[in-house]
Amino acid sequence: MDRHDLLAEVKGLLATGLRLDIPPSDIQDDSPIFGEGLGLDSIDALELVVLVEDRFHVSIPDEEVGKRAFASVRALVDFIVAERPS
Amino acid sequence: MSDFTGRRVLVTGGSRGIGRATALAFASAGAAVAFNWSRSEDGAEAAETLAALEATGARVCGAQADVADAGAVTALFAEVRAALDGPPDVLVNNAAVTHDALLMMLPESGWDRVIDVNLKGAFLCCKTALRGMIAGRAGRIVNVVSPAAYFGKEGASSYAASKGGLVALTKSLAREVARYGITVNGVSPGFVQTKLIADLTASARDELLRQIPLGRFAEPEEVAAVVLFLSSPAGAYLTGTTLHVDGGLTMI
Repeated sequence: MDRHDLLAEVKGLLATGLRLDIPPSDIQDDSPIFGEGLGLDSIDALELVVLVEDRFHVSIPDEEVGKRAFASVRALVDFIVAERPS
Repeated sequence: MSDFTGRRVLVTGGSRGIGRATALAFASAGAAVAFNWSRSEDGAEAAETLAALEATGARVCGAQADVADAGAVTALFAEVRAALDGPPDVLVNNAAVTHDALLMMLPESGWDRVIDVNLKGAFLCCKTALRGMIAGRAGRIVNVVSPAAYFGKEGASSYAASKGGLVALTKSLAREVARYGITVNGVSPGFVQTKLIADLTASARDELLRQIPLGRFAEPEEVAAVVLFLSSPAGAYLTGTTLHVDGGLTMI
């Protein structure tokens, strides 16, 4: 899967997995996932952790890794590319 | 009794006592049930528990694992998931140890072990179990606490502190995961009819009984019944609280 497809898949996961009221195509690459960006809070993040771990076979074991992975939609794609099993 | 068919349950410290009674009650109610035990000398009791569980016809799993060890907890959950065909949707944190000594004489290693098993062990099991529960948007966590958490106990400060910590963990986690349909509660057993009680002198036993308005010790099954209630649909609207199964000992 190339980066472009992955970006689309991550946006789809955010929109449908987290039941956001916006179409995936409206999510900006640089949107912060939490707070101002998509309006999610830290407890919503728990479900995102589970969704991302299950879908992409990566591990987000704690807050430190989570902050890096969820800095933005683009950062999440970077994280998945770097961490997923080849 | 509620029907737990299709539910998957993990009871930590399940080889004997309250843990065994709870595992058996869940299995008898149709659940797939896993339990762990830690000390090798408890292997014979664990084998008896496993045989009793198997006799119910339920899908069961028994594994040796120290809940204070993060790697062992990860391995335990992997084994449970494989054996029960999915992650547990009910977690009963029952594993506990004691180290009786007056605080001034309590070795640091004794303090650490009690906190590691009773409190950190529950943390590690919750942390691991929550991933499956959040994915399923449902789950029940029941933490076995103690009247010592509320009143303190001479010669058992580490145990009381660990259980007090577990009460606070119960409340905090209940707030964190409520939106995912996961409840987190405590059960606080008073004096339960165990070998420890049976071995007391008659006068020591009478002294304990005088403190209990209902005038008798609990059977482990009476504690298990309340764990099942909290895990059943009937218990759906309780979270962050502790039910005192103690014959009126504490009344709080």
